[in-house]
Amino acid sequence: MELDWGVVARAWDLLIDGTWVTLQLFAWSLLLGTVLGLVLALMRLSKYRVLRWVSLGYVWLFRGIPVLVALFFAFFVFGRQVGLSALQAGVLGLGTSAAAYKAEIIRAGIMSVDPGQFEAAECLAMTRRRYMRRIIIPQGIRVMVPTYMSNTILVLKVSSVAVAIGIVELTGITRQLSNSTNRPIELFTAAALIYLFLTTVLIVLQEFLERRFALKT
Amino acid sequence: MDWDVVVESFPLIWKGASKTVSLFAWSLAAGTVLGLAVALMKLSSAKPLSWFATLFSWLFRGVPLLILLFYAFFALPEVGWLLSPFWAAVLGLSLWTAAYQAEAIRSGIIAVDHGQTEGSDALGMTRSHTMRRIIIPQSIRIMVPPFTSNATTLLKQTSLATLVTVPEMTLLTQRIFSNNFKFIEPIFVLAMIYLAMTTVLIIGQQIVERAFRLKT
Repeated sequence: MELDWGVVARAWDLLIDGTWVTLQLFAWSLLLGTVLGLVLALMRLSKYRVLRWVSLGYVWLFRGIPVLVALFFAFFVFGRQVGLSALQAGVLGLGTSAAAYKAEIIRAGIMSVDPGQFEAAECLAMTRRRYMRRIIIPQGIRVMVPTYMSNTILVLKVSSVAVAIGIVELTGITRQLSNSTNRPIELFTAAALIYLFLTTVLIVLQEFLERRFALKT
Repeated sequence: MDWDVVVESFPLIWKGASKTVSLFAWSLAAGTVLGLAVALMKLSSAKPLSWFATLFSWLFRGVPLLILLFYAFFALPEVGWLLSPFWAAVLGLSLWTAAYQAEAIRSGIIAVDHGQTEGSDALGMTRSHTMRRIIIPQSIRIMVPPFTSNATTLLKQTSLATLVTVPEMTLLTQRIFSNNFKFIEPIFVLAMIYLAMTTVLIIGQQIVERAFRLKT
C-alpha cells in the first residue's frame, strides 16, 4: 500500500492543538500529584496513627486500581455532582492516581536521609515543620530525582488514557483524524514521534537534574 | 450508592474477568520471553544486538501504551495484518511490557557478582552455559520485586483494551453506564475486583520473595 505522509502535514495544526491539550493535562496532573503526594508522604510519616492509616489506605486504593477507573470516578461520579469540565475531571483523575505513586517516591526519599540528621535537628530544638523543610526534604530530593522523573514520564504517557472520557488530546485527535482520513499508519506514527520527542525531553531534563543535585565531592 | 445496583452489576462485570485474566496471562508470558531476549541482546557484546535492544526499550517505553494498542488495532490491518481485537491488545500489551521487563531482567543479571562469571570462565564453561546455569538462577531473586511490580501494572493496564473493543471488565462496566445510566455502583464493583486482583499479585510477590530468599 502507498503511504501518504502529506496527510501528516495537512493535519499538523490539529496534532499540535492535541499536543497542547496533552501538555496541559500533564502539567496540571503532575502539580496535583506532587502536592497531594507530598501531603500523603508526610501523613505517612506522622506520629498520628489516623493520618498514617488514611495515607496508607489512599496509596493502597489508588495503586490497586487502573488509572482508567480513577478517571471514570472523577468524570462520571465526582465531576457530574460538582459540575467539572472534562479537562478538569481528567486532571483530577490523573492527579489523584499519580499522587499515590509520588507519595511512595517522596517517602522513600525522606526515609533515605540519615537518621542522624533528624536527631541533630531535634537537638538544635528545631520544630518538626522547620527541620523537614530546611534539613530533610532538601537532602531527600537528591535521592528522589531519578524515581520522581521516571514516574513523571509515566504521567505524561498515561495522560493519553484521558481519551476514554472524551478529552481530545494528542491520542484523541489522532484517533479522530485516523478515522476520518483512513490513514492510521501515518497519523499514529506522527503521534508516536511527538510522544517520543516529549519523553526524550523529559529524559534529558532528568539527567540535568541528577547532575544538578549530585553531591559535590 | 444503591446496593441493589451493586449486586446487579457484579455478575455483569465479573463476566469480563476471564477476558481480563487471559489478556494479562498472554501478555505477561509473551512479554517476559521477549523481555528476556531483549535483556540478553542488550548485554551482548555484538554491537548491532545491543543497539537493537536499546532502540527497542527507548521506542516502547517512550510511546504511550494506548498508541501501541491503536497502532495494532487501526494501523496493522492497513498492511494486511488483520488481528482480532483481543490479539491486537495482546500484541500491544506484550511489546509494551517487554520493554519494562527487559530492564527488570537486565538489572537482575548485572547485579550478580562479577566473580561468578569469572569463576565459570575459569572452569571453561561456555557463555550460554554460564548464563543458564550460574547467572540467571542467581539473578531471579533480585528480579522478583521489579518483575512483579511490572506485572501488577500490566494487569491494571489491560483495562485500556476497552478502547480497542475487547469485552473485558472495563468495557462491560462502560456498557452499564450507557444502558442503565448508573455510574458509581459499577465503578465501585470494577474498582473492588481490580483491587482484589492486584492484592492477590502483591501477596504472590511476597510468597515468591520468601521462597527465593537466601538461606543463611
